[in-house]
Amino acid sequence: MLRNDEGLFSIDFLVGFTIFMVALIAVASMVPGLLAGLQSSGIDYDAVAYRTGVILAEDPGWPVDPPWEAYDVNHKGEIERTGLAVSKDAPNILLSTKIEKFFDTSFFDPEDYRSKAIFGDIPYSYNITLRSLDGRYNHAVGQETPEGYGYIRRVVKIKEPSVAVINGSFKDRYTISPDDNSTTRTFIVRFDFNRLINLSIDPAYRIDPRTEPVNITITDFEKFLNGTASEATLKSVTFRRGSSSIPFPYDEDDTDYYTLRIDNNLCPTEPGAGVSSNISLVLKPAATSLFELGPTSILDVEFNFEDKPPDTNITGIHYYDYNPTNVTRPDLKPAVLEVAIW
Amino acid sequence: MVNDSGQLYTMEGIAAGLVMLLTAYLILSTTSIYTPGDTHIPDMQLEQLGSDVLAMMDTPDSDGGENHLVDLINRSDRDGFNSTFLEYCNARTNGKPDTIHMSANVAYRDGDRIEEHQLVKPDETWTGRESAVRVTRWVQLDQQSTRGDPYGSRAQAVLVEVLLWRA
Repeated sequence: MLRNDEGLFSIDFLVGFTIFMVALIAVASMVPGLLAGLQSSGIDYDAVAYRTGVILAEDPGWPVDPPWEAYDVNHKGEIERTGLAVSKDAPNILLSTKIEKFFDTSFFDPEDYRSKAIFGDIPYSYNITLRSLDGRYNHAVGQETPEGYGYIRRVVKIKEPSVAVINGSFKDRYTISPDDNSTTRTFIVRFDFNRLINLSIDPAYRIDPRTEPVNITITDFEKFLNGTASEATLKSVTFRRGSSSIPFPYDEDDTDYYTLRIDNNLCPTEPGAGVSSNISLVLKPAATSLFELGPTSILDVEFNFEDKPPDTNITGIHYYDYNPTNVTRPDLKPAVLEVAIW
Repeated sequence: MVNDSGQLYTMEGIAAGLVMLLTAYLILSTTSIYTPGDTHIPDMQLEQLGSDVLAMMDTPDSDGGENHLVDLINRSDRDGFNSTFLEYCNARTNGKPDTIHMSANVAYRDGDRIEEHQLVKPDETWTGRESAVRVTRWVQLDQQSTRGDPYGSRAQAVLVEVLLWRA
């Protein structure tokens, strides 16, 4: 800066000074942001709890088909959200199989709950509990709640899978005609998806083997035995889609796919074992998703008995549909879901 | 700092001026953010709960089964409505039940007029309580010759309004 009587600055000085002032003002304007850099995370605990409640109560999760609860531990990374709702069209109606999987702490660890249910950048602590009013469902995950926490409570209903019970009352319907001299005995349970995937039925009551387990239970089997036979040999349980046979390479250890019990003992699908009392087959979505079934498919589950001469007279086709005589759909169970976040 | 010729002749003068300007700017640009205490979060939690309870009462337990909410409205069963609603509302997963109270009205059409029928009166905790929240649900009543006052026998949609509060 040159001092003279004219009171003028040089251009060089003005340019330099202007640049300096602009830089100074820009830095000064950032100072309040530095002072307010401490982020208050407590303010959004209630919001995170609410969001988690919505994901659990109103969202079926992702993937949907096959459903996330069908994934095994090797594919756990493909689960994006662990929603418990039956369907996005049936909020607050939770599926029992999703509930059992969600609260399985041998499958999910705390980091899984944070990344698949709670989300957020901060590693929140959580406590998620579900209890049905009749006490049948009583689950909890997470730590004990502290003094202050974000919270939401949702009232829901729990849907349990359907079951087809073929007992002694069906004896006349499913007994071979006395005129029939054939020696093969095949009892078929038919899933006609044209009937099952009926969009006029609310998802809260719909039977969809692609997303929930189906249970076939044959009891009072002694009523289906022939003459003086004490048991009949179940050679195999096979699956057909239309006229095509579907390979099923799983054994009794693959309980994620199915469970087959003969007289209450776990068996593979080719047991070759004697049946005297009951057969129970639970087919899970992980298995039905492999059958490539569409909304118009027909899936036949065949129980093949082999004895010469035959020790059982059971035969016929039992439809797994909405007829309450054929299939029992348990009532929805009221429950309460609580989410605490801190 | 300024001489007779109008010149700034010391850097200290300029620096002093800049410091004053900077201080004034910092004070003016620093904003205080404060969150006034209000009840919108507890209110939201209670509203969501009340809305869930009405929705679950309006959901039959079986396909084609009885709709509990419609049945209670049809019969104007105030005790049944009160006990069912509060059972769902106050249920917790562990510990003591919650302490939520309620009152309920049903708005319906009578000819050209909109009338309101008090289904559940507020109890003794109506005064000196926390602020109440309101949840509503439309309920479709079918034609029913045995349904008397106040809704009459014709099919109509009525609005169930429930006030909830903690006491």
